[in-house]
Amino acid sequence: MIMSAPVTRTDDSETPAPPDEELLVRGARRGDLEAYDELVRRHQERIYATIYHMTANHEDANDLAQESFIKAFQALKSFKGGSSFYTWLYRIAVNKTINYLKQRKNRTHMSLNDLDFQAEHDPDLMALISDKTPRREAGLTELQEKLNEALLKLSEPHRLVVVLHDVQGQSHEEIAKIMDCNIGTVRSRLFYARQQLQALLSDYLK
Amino acid sequence: MNENENNFESLRRLMVLKRYETPPPGYFNYFSSQVLQRIRAGDAGTSANWVEGLFGRAAWLERLLQVLDVKPVFASAFAGALCLLLFLGIIYAERPDLTSQPVLQATTTTASLTAVSPPTLSQPTDQMGIVSSTSPVLSLQPVASPFGQQSSLAQPVSFSLSGN
Repeated sequence: MIMSAPVTRTDDSETPAPPDEELLVRGARRGDLEAYDELVRRHQERIYATIYHMTANHEDANDLAQESFIKAFQALKSFKGGSSFYTWLYRIAVNKTINYLKQRKNRTHMSLNDLDFQAEHDPDLMALISDKTPRREAGLTELQEKLNEALLKLSEPHRLVVVLHDVQGQSHEEIAKIMDCNIGTVRSRLFYARQQLQALLSDYLK
Repeated sequence: MNENENNFESLRRLMVLKRYETPPPGYFNYFSSQVLQRIRAGDAGTSANWVEGLFGRAAWLERLLQVLDVKPVFASAFAGALCLLLFLGIIYAERPDLTSQPVLQATTTTASLTAVSPPTLSQPTDQMGIVSSTSPVLSLQPVASPFGQQSSLAQPVSFSLSGN
């Protein structure tokens, strides 16, 4: 299973959600936990992945993802439907994560998930493994650690933009809605974050 | 922008690695049930007996401390209010006309019981026999002493005792 595969949706986030999702939201707002269970199942992987890539810690991501869904359920009555439920939920998760990271400042402890075995067969990744690396697995694990360390050195807004765009494949427009800023800000943050990452990972990039 | 994209091509390929970081197998099988469990537990917690919440676990105290901990302004205001209360309490305690009143009332009761004859005052008096300040007329008639003795004269308007 590949976490947070690129999201295919682009600008359709503001279009009305599919009827079944609207029905689920309506049901959940009335306190129907079965409806909310379905909503959680639909979005759990992407919400968890975003938080995990931001924190580089599985336990923190687990707690924050659960708390985000709980908070969303409690705040459902205030959800006016101005944006899609998906964007609204993302905002809650992102704000919660950024607040947590601010409190956790300088106390970073990585608890990385294992790499899926399919990573060894990814041609893009194989192209990055140095010929000097004796075993591919070791090379990937080392790359994983260095990449996460570099990401943690970015500021939260810059890290978030990189995670949402380059890892999760979200569009600039969608990121702007989630982060409540304009597209120009998203683009400039993305460019600056990539520049920083490239400098930090220059030894591992050809 | 395309040039920038090309510059970051190798970085983009490296970022692909993040997508292969997966949580433990079966993790998402139980995720939603855990969320719902916590939601149900939260609902149960909020609808629990308020008496237990108030006295049993002192949750209100925890919440107050949390608020004070998070907002220094609230902590300062709370401390200021406590200081003000303390200050007012000290001032109130040191005011003789307010603090001595209950004692005087008690002694007056016994004095009135032992008095030979009730004082006949031309002016309205309060329970202690002091001429009311609303009618500032001196009276030469004796009034009941709060200490069980007959006072010689009525007190002047200013309430200052004669001989002091």
